[in-house]
Amino acid sequence: MANSQPLFTAVSSSARQLILLLRCISFAKKVQVRISLDGLHFTTDQGSVMEAFVVLEKALFTSYTYNHPAPPSSQDDPLPQPVFEVSLSSLLETLSIFSLYDPATIKRPSGDPSFDAFGAHRLHRHAGFDPFSARSLGMTGTCTFTYDGDGSPLRIHMAESGVTTSCDLTTYEAASTDPIPFRRDALALKTIMRSTYLLDAIVELASLTPTELTINAFPQSRRQHGTSALSISASGALGSVSVSFSAPSSPSNGAATTADPPILETFQCHNSTRARFSFSALQAAQRAMGAATKVSLRIDEAGVLSLQFLVEIEPVSNAGGALSIGNEKVAFVDFRVVSLVDDEYAEEEDSGGSSTADD
Amino acid sequence: MRFRASITNIHTFTKFTASLATLGHIAWVRLDEKDVRFTVIPENGSQVWSVLAKDAVFDTYTIQSAAPGNTINLEVPLAPLQRALKSAQNGTAANIRLTKKDNIPLLSLTITTSTMNNPVPHGTQNDTGVEEFREESVDFFGSRQDRETVVTQDVPIRVLAPASVQGIHEPVCREPDVHIVLPNLMQLKSISDRFTRLASSSKSKSGFGAGSSGPKLELSGNMHGCLRLSLSTDAMRIKSLWTGLENPELDPDHVSQGEDGLANHPSTRMKAMGDETGETDEGWATVRVEGKDWGRVLSVGRLGGRVIACFCHDHALILYVFLNGEGPGEGESVLTYYISSYSA
Repeated sequence: MANSQPLFTAVSSSARQLILLLRCISFAKKVQVRISLDGLHFTTDQGSVMEAFVVLEKALFTSYTYNHPAPPSSQDDPLPQPVFEVSLSSLLETLSIFSLYDPATIKRPSGDPSFDAFGAHRLHRHAGFDPFSARSLGMTGTCTFTYDGDGSPLRIHMAESGVTTSCDLTTYEAASTDPIPFRRDALALKTIMRSTYLLDAIVELASLTPTELTINAFPQSRRQHGTSALSISASGALGSVSVSFSAPSSPSNGAATTADPPILETFQCHNSTRARFSFSALQAAQRAMGAATKVSLRIDEAGVLSLQFLVEIEPVSNAGGALSIGNEKVAFVDFRVVSLVDDEYAEEEDSGGSSTADD
Repeated sequence: MRFRASITNIHTFTKFTASLATLGHIAWVRLDEKDVRFTVIPENGSQVWSVLAKDAVFDTYTIQSAAPGNTINLEVPLAPLQRALKSAQNGTAANIRLTKKDNIPLLSLTITTSTMNNPVPHGTQNDTGVEEFREESVDFFGSRQDRETVVTQDVPIRVLAPASVQGIHEPVCREPDVHIVLPNLMQLKSISDRFTRLASSSKSKSGFGAGSSGPKLELSGNMHGCLRLSLSTDAMRIKSLWTGLENPELDPDHVSQGEDGLANHPSTRMKAMGDETGETDEGWATVRVEGKDWGRVLSVGRLGGRVIACFCHDHALILYVFLNGEGPGEGESVLTYYISSYSA
């Protein structure tokens, strides 16, 4: 590969979008990056108990070039996609290097004779409307990613009002971990809700500083009237908390109220399901719960929990009229958690006995 | 020994004091007929030597001392001075004088605040009852518009004998290799602080950042308007580059041996190397500064002056902060920061 073109270049006009998404999975020290033709895949994991991944899709970048190297001969298998690890905190800090600096609040140096207090006030007051400000021209937070194959650093280059910052992130060889298998075709539970509800529940449970939490789900057929469909419970030294969610009323059951939108927008469960997870794993997803609008919570028959968060991304700029308005992009952040092995696993156990705090 | 002055520019004086206070707790203040000098020499970290022209913040300045040169030397704690000035923020007038109470020497600030901007718009109301009451109250309390409050803030100080300050000298440094006007300090500070954070978060075990003294940033300048801030850790190498800055011309009158001295000046030699893009490795003068200390020095940016940095390669960095509103020539107010370079 003696050509001068780098293996990979991508330009993003908004580092903030990338920060928003990457913060969601920022519980680990290092992040695994995989470059593919359709986007940048970021994966973090915690042991092999939990992993989280987010894809920065090609569409998030203003330009995205990945020259997938051709295999030496046509008979060979295609070369694997580049995979490496970088320090996640360094990556996030680098991307946010200009976010603290707001040009509108910066005073001009005294040597400038055209600067006066009134002018400063005007500048300040109309800072949001200045059509030629770097912000409305979409110049803030523009960053370029470059990667040139094994052993070379991931280079991030950013420019803003006279300053350019370039950062070479040391790339480490990626630990080859297999992704946690999740069987979409064998689901024990599937539910969709607003992610803030899940966040509230986790925050509620966190007050006990538990080590693990239990998710219980009851199918429609087994439930008596008024009992919850899904409950998340945990117990600590000081007591136990259980947060229960009621299922949406099924069409056949016409008695339910229609005024409130259901907490659980979708709820599919055929057998009573009960699974325990490490609480810290769920806590690691808190940032994603805060950033997302909706979450799809699924548990497969092997007890693997999948949380898929839908994150709405604000448009790049609010000033540029040329930008598509009302067409905000969405991105998905995925978490997968392996359930704890239950010694006295009882399929038919009900949730009696614990005090409940209804959500 | 007498000293008395009115403070005309409370805001500048407050910001000035706040900038000094970030570096140390105690300032050596030297007052004489021409100017006021504040010097902070902390146990470790950068020192600052500043000269305030007396008209920069003071008016009706009187000084009388038995010491030669009509000089008064004081040791002033900065935090109480800062607090005293804070209460003067909304004042209409403030005076400072040297006094003694119970045999303790004090700098006494007398602050006059008027209640004129009290939001009591009685007169605008049509309610006659209120109007009457207002007139009565004017009789009773005196005119509301003219009411004044006088606050006195005492800052305990120590008077230093001339002999005790004789041994304190401003650091002497060789001619700088590079001198350059710094970009906006608040921007530089926000980026520097982030670098410091990056360095401490990645906690490299060798090289930079080792030891207890905190992470080191590498700051370089060349004679072609470039300033570079860089940091290397195990996890990353990051650098920010400013281009198009100004390298002020040296005045031959201020260089030893005049024109000849200028021709042999280190900066003249540095000018032959490097370029405007800052991409080459040549022509840079580099110092290594301690991240946190550097951040404290940069807090002087709130004064909004023009800042010239003088780089002595591998040796020291000197910052000259010229305060607003001063023309060239005499009566200039300058803060001089001496920042020594750490070895790599």
